Amino acid sequence: MNSPVTSTSGSTTTSSQQPATAAAAGRATAGANSRIAAARAVHVSKIYGSGGTQVRALDDISVDFARGEFTAIMGPSGSGKSTLMHCLAGLDNASAGSVTIGDTELVGLSDKNMTKLRRDRIGFVFQSFNLVPTLTAIENITLPMDIAGRNPNQQWLDSVIDTLGLRDRLSHRPSELSGGQQQRVACARALASQPEIIFGDEPTGNLDSRSSGEVMGILRNSVTRLHQTVVIVTHDPRAASYADRVVFLADGRIVDEMRAPTADSVLDRMKNLEAV
Amino acid sequence: MATSSATMRKVSLRNLAAHKIRLALTVLSVVLGTAFVAGSFVFTDTLSHTFHGIFADVAKGVDVQATGKQTDGSGVPLADIEKIKTIAGVRAVDPQVESQIVLLGSNGKPVQGGGAPSMGQSYSPPGQLIGDPYKFISGTAPIQNGQIALNKGALKLAKLNVGDTTKVLVPSAGTVNVTISGVYDTKSDTGGYIGALFARDQALKLFTDGNHVGSVNVAGTGVSQDELKARISQALPDLTVKTGKQVTDETQQDVSTALKFVNYFLLAFGAIALLVGTFIIYNTFSMIIAQRLRELALLRAVGASRKQLSRSVLFEAVVVGLIGSIIGIAAGVGLAYGLRALLNSFNVGLPNGTLQLSPRTVIVAMLVGVVVTVFSAYTPARRAAKIPPVAAMREEFASAGTSLRRRTILGAIFALIGAAGLVGGAVSKAGGGAAGLVGLGAVALILGVLLGAPTLARPIVAALGAPLGRPFGSVGRLARTNAVRNPRRTAATAFALTLGLMLVTAIAVFGSSAKKSINGLVDNGVTADYILTGPDAIGVPVGAAATVAKVEGVKTAVALEPVRVKFNGSDQQGTGVDGSLADVLPFAMLSGTQDLTGHDILASKDKADQNGWKVGSTVVMTSPDGKALNTRVAGIYAHNQLLGDWMTSSQLYREVTPANHRYDMVVLIRAQSGTDLSTLRTRLEQATDSSLVVKVQDREQFKGTQASQIDNLLAILYGLLALAIVIAVLGIVNTLALSVVERRREIGMLRAVGMLRPQVRRTIYLESALIAVFGAIVGLALGLTFGALFVRTLRDQGLDQIAIPYGQSVSMLVLSAVVGVLAALWPAVRAARIRPLEAIADL
Repeated sequence: MNSPVTSTSGSTTTSSQQPATAAAAGRATAGANSRIAAARAVHVSKIYGSGGTQVRALDDISVDFARGEFTAIMGPSGSGKSTLMHCLAGLDNASAGSVTIGDTELVGLSDKNMTKLRRDRIGFVFQSFNLVPTLTAIENITLPMDIAGRNPNQQWLDSVIDTLGLRDRLSHRPSELSGGQQQRVACARALASQPEIIFGDEPTGNLDSRSSGEVMGILRNSVTRLHQTVVIVTHDPRAASYADRVVFLADGRIVDEMRAPTADSVLDRMKNLEAV
Repeated sequence: MATSSATMRKVSLRNLAAHKIRLALTVLSVVLGTAFVAGSFVFTDTLSHTFHGIFADVAKGVDVQATGKQTDGSGVPLADIEKIKTIAGVRAVDPQVESQIVLLGSNGKPVQGGGAPSMGQSYSPPGQLIGDPYKFISGTAPIQNGQIALNKGALKLAKLNVGDTTKVLVPSAGTVNVTISGVYDTKSDTGGYIGALFARDQALKLFTDGNHVGSVNVAGTGVSQDELKARISQALPDLTVKTGKQVTDETQQDVSTALKFVNYFLLAFGAIALLVGTFIIYNTFSMIIAQRLRELALLRAVGASRKQLSRSVLFEAVVVGLIGSIIGIAAGVGLAYGLRALLNSFNVGLPNGTLQLSPRTVIVAMLVGVVVTVFSAYTPARRAAKIPPVAAMREEFASAGTSLRRRTILGAIFALIGAAGLVGGAVSKAGGGAAGLVGLGAVALILGVLLGAPTLARPIVAALGAPLGRPFGSVGRLARTNAVRNPRRTAATAFALTLGLMLVTAIAVFGSSAKKSINGLVDNGVTADYILTGPDAIGVPVGAAATVAKVEGVKTAVALEPVRVKFNGSDQQGTGVDGSLADVLPFAMLSGTQDLTGHDILASKDKADQNGWKVGSTVVMTSPDGKALNTRVAGIYAHNQLLGDWMTSSQLYREVTPANHRYDMVVLIRAQSGTDLSTLRTRLEQATDSSLVVKVQDREQFKGTQASQIDNLLAILYGLLALAIVIAVLGIVNTLALSVVERRREIGMLRAVGMLRPQVRRTIYLESALIAVFGAIVGLALGLTFGALFVRTLRDQGLDQIAIPYGQSVSMLVLSAVVGVLAALWPAVRAARIRPLEAIADL
């Protein structure tokens, strides 16, 4: 794989400078144990409803996600893993506490600034409804940059497309692509804008095991080779085994953490958690 | 079975209740269509009810009424009145005379009565009066010459008071000074009606030739109406004699006939509104089915039969149709009320009465509403039934859609048939046959375009979207692709607008062509420097032509007179010419002479050919009074739009037209060479000042007056068609609102990856504008084609020039884009409110 050029696309906004800085910082510390957090939650709580029907989805959670690290968030249904990711990614507001992406505080950010932050500094891979059905693969890949009115870094874009093996699918519409191909296009979209951090919400949830392996491989590679920061929510131990670190949630709290996970060790831990 | 259908019904009803906005939008489209149908019925029912009330007493106390043989005749000779008096069984005789008049208001200007008539009548004192006595509110009855009594409404309209003096113009007799002696109350005191009562002697002098009266009311004693009628008819076979009952019935009949036309006219627009509404209802049901695909498939999976499923959808349609038509009927009553108020604010002269909501109105509106809704929902219902149960598992089933090929091929066939009809109509000889061919071709082409519209949508929207969307970048591209994402839906949404704009454009072509043709006729055919015209009902009063002929600087003043006679067994209208026509309106003779003397007539070539006339032929004409006249064809002229079929001398005109029916249609004036035209104008205005209603116009002003009459007519049609456009716009709102619901997740995803709220809104605006402009372009293309071809088939009716209203067309396109954006306002706000989480949550 070609090492992508990390110079920015010529835009003068500070946010667009971030990927370069982040990548540089990632290389400088060369590895998984960087001290600079790409995303951070401090005493975050999320409460739905009020009174008797009140549900505490997140209960005073504090967690850091280091730059250049691949983290999987796991936990049983209702543990709050998705809520945590939504709060971190600027898709939902925390009820209390502080959430930062880089050095930007998310709590109290206006919708407009939150949207711009997601657009310019975060990449997303969802379980489904990842792509706009009326746009071709390449149009979907460059969508966030098009929306921002930025020109993509063509060299970087080419390398992402080639790495993900999408070159001959670029003019296809999502309906003409397989599920795995669609998810690869979604990964390409997330990578194309060189975001500070990529969030994945059950990215392999709708895929067969072969396609799951492909998608997780792409995310893994982006961390290992490009020092990308990736955080995913998953319930699949095999998917989690691609991560550097697994954070376990139960009842809105972080209950455990594991480094260098394997599918078996994750599965064992999950069994214990669900038994509790 | 009973319980299972109850279950399906429950699902349907719950479903309707669960999507209130969707329900409201669907119902609204039914409401608009049925409201117009109900409104036109209520409007005409109310009018006919009130008119019947007014005219029920028209012949109260009158046993027999005698009139002249023909309506345009002199009437009943005075000698006959004396004869009637001597017939056994006659108790009282009450001669009636009346005529159109012009009343001057307190400001010295003619009082504009709008659509209601302005009449002068003879006043019969209580002793001689047969029927309802006049109820005087103040003042006294007119008993001396120079006194008139006015109805209350007229007094108010003229801003006059009892005791005031003013003037009244009688077209055939000139102007008289009058004093208002009193005010009376009348049932027929509708907005704008003017009824001036004159003392009988003066009325006879002003409104008749002195030897006749208009009609004679007779009251009998000791005989039945029929017997009295028989006796009078026998004694005076030259008169038309009717019983009082016949008079009342015939009057009521006339009212009904007149109102029937109004009713059909309004119903035609109701039909257009419903047709446009059909597309919206169809579209809405299609989209609702598409959105409920999973739910319906689930029902199929748990064992609902196809029949149950389609029946459940149709049941929903019935419910929507019922709710829509009930609200529609209520809205229709409001519409009728509003329409009457609007028309009366222009003094059109509609009587006020309680609004009539007949059972017929309710039944028709309900039937129409329900049938149209069920009809529109039928295809979607069948499609719903075809859903395979496994579709519940699949995600993207909704967007699949079946091939458009069959539909497009069928559309192309219809379009070809339509084009053949249109071309055939255009090249064949002008007339009814050609117009019919064009009409059939138009219908076939509309069907073809309707069927082919989904296929047309893609290239047209793509072509439109490129320039429109470019400045908006990816937002523009998204809007463009969204606009044709479901071509059937885009086509159905746009087609409502297409139909509306097609009609508007076709009418606009008619209007501009008519104006251009008239301008052409005046410019090329008229050499008169000034033209005298009068109000529609009155024309130019007799005498004005003679007066202006003496004005210094006038070379010729030619009066054109309306000649009404019978020949070949039917009523014919020709033109009487008083003066040297060639000076003001040159025309080419094919044979014979231009000079009209004695009983000569000149005929157009068409008229001559049609009747087999040659120069020297004798034509026997019958005057309205039944007098036979031998006339001679003196010459045959080339077809000329301004002259009509045939002309005759002023002498013949006077012989066949009773003095009190005479007026001039126009007076054409040619100045002596070297005369200063503006000085001449001042002199002409001074000379005609005493006739009050005469306008002096130069050629340009004359063209302007004609054009403004056409514009007024068009304005009414546009006003009514606006309803169709409103419905079409609501259709766009509906489609967009439902698409937004459908695309919730996609919009959520776009928001998640960084689309700002204004960008989401802009996408929807642009999508809407593209759909609207697509519909407008197709509508304009169809409307311009149909309009131009229909005008072509009327080329021998005076519409010899086709004018395309370019400016209007362009502004309609721009306006449709604006309307598109307006229609998108609410759906766009809803779309922008979608939270990004909705893309990932709720799976």
